[in-house]
Amino acid sequence: MKKFPAVAFFKCHKIIFGSACLVSLCLMWSVSAMAHRVNVFAWVEGGTVHTESKFSGGKGVKDGEVLIYDLEGSRLLSGRTDAQGEFSFRIPQKTGMKIVVQAGMGHRGEWTIPLSEIDPRAPIPETPVSQEGPSETAQSGAAASSVNLDQIRHILEQSLDRRLGPVLKLLAESRDRGPTLQDILGGIGYVFGLMGLAAYVHFRRKTRQIESQKEG
Amino acid sequence: MHISEGILSGPVLISGIVLAAAGTAIGLKKLNYDRIPRAAILSASFFVASLVHIPIGPSSVHLILNGIVGLILGCGAFPVILVALALQSVFFQFGGITTLGVNTVIMALPAVLCYYVFRNLVGKGPRIALPAAFLCGLLSVFFGAVIVGLALAFTEEHFLKASYLVVMAHIPVMIIEGIITAFCVAFLKKVQPEMLPGYVR
Repeated sequence: MKKFPAVAFFKCHKIIFGSACLVSLCLMWSVSAMAHRVNVFAWVEGGTVHTESKFSGGKGVKDGEVLIYDLEGSRLLSGRTDAQGEFSFRIPQKTGMKIVVQAGMGHRGEWTIPLSEIDPRAPIPETPVSQEGPSETAQSGAAASSVNLDQIRHILEQSLDRRLGPVLKLLAESRDRGPTLQDILGGIGYVFGLMGLAAYVHFRRKTRQIESQKEG
Repeated sequence: MHISEGILSGPVLISGIVLAAAGTAIGLKKLNYDRIPRAAILSASFFVASLVHIPIGPSSVHLILNGIVGLILGCGAFPVILVALALQSVFFQFGGITTLGVNTVIMALPAVLCYYVFRNLVGKGPRIALPAAFLCGLLSVFFGAVIVGLALAFTEEHFLKASYLVVMAHIPVMIIEGIITAFCVAFLKKVQPEMLPGYVR
């Protein structure tokens, strides 16, 4: 009946619709803090474990509850993340750990630190190493060399930690990329694939019915 | 809106799966097969909508679009939302496989409820239909938030406290979804009124 006005309406609304879609696409790519998935990343540095929790997209989990369990599932300690989503703690005992972060509203993430990553000298508080290097005082040879070895190992570990810290941070940041275009298109493709499957099954059944009716 | 894995207790997860399975079975039974392309388009829209974020305060929430899905598909919202959520959990790691049942109930049940409440109003004149559509979009999100609170209440968080938090966080989404639903309904009324419930030739 009123075919033409409808077509005209549709045409002008196509522009509105198109722009709405564009706006939402821009929103999709510009704003990237989201609250569905919590990524936890933890690394050991000396006797301290640093944890970083982010929503996928890179925004830190503010004031999230951090629960530390050993691998048997008994709780060792708990705390809360700061404004950047970070929380650090001294290693309480030499064991592998599971770090669970709960960001409220049903969001949760976890990260496991195997025992091999835990610093073997963790429970011992760090001793400040003298800057002059190994002392050359007259001690018994064996004792002196063992102390030196210890100190060298300690210095090595400290400088390694210092050097690797930024690398680990980079790793943590590169881990949580939001969904890519491939993911989005893949999902949409699956939906339409399922649609095709359902239509195929349904119409095959229908044609069979029609054929059997013709025969009968 | 997506509850992560490892938060809810077993009974809650199982009842979620049972409810979602029942809803999906009814939805598939009632789904008109000539409408499969429509269902697929809505499923794809729902799938992508979760990537559209609205920044509020410290975190952000995303579009859900369950109101419009329910309004156009009725009980068919269950299978459509189930498929979209399964894909979201695989591709985006939103929610998870074990929480798929619960998450489906969270988003599809309010959609179906709102369909039954508003289906007769949407077919009427724009003065009634548009506010009804707005409310449909708003309430679909609101009830979803309430179900999230309910699911969380069985583990440790207090029901009222949890629901209050989730509802508060979703207020902007409720309003935006209401507007989007009203816009879609206005658009469909002009272009393809037979897509909406309560359409009389």
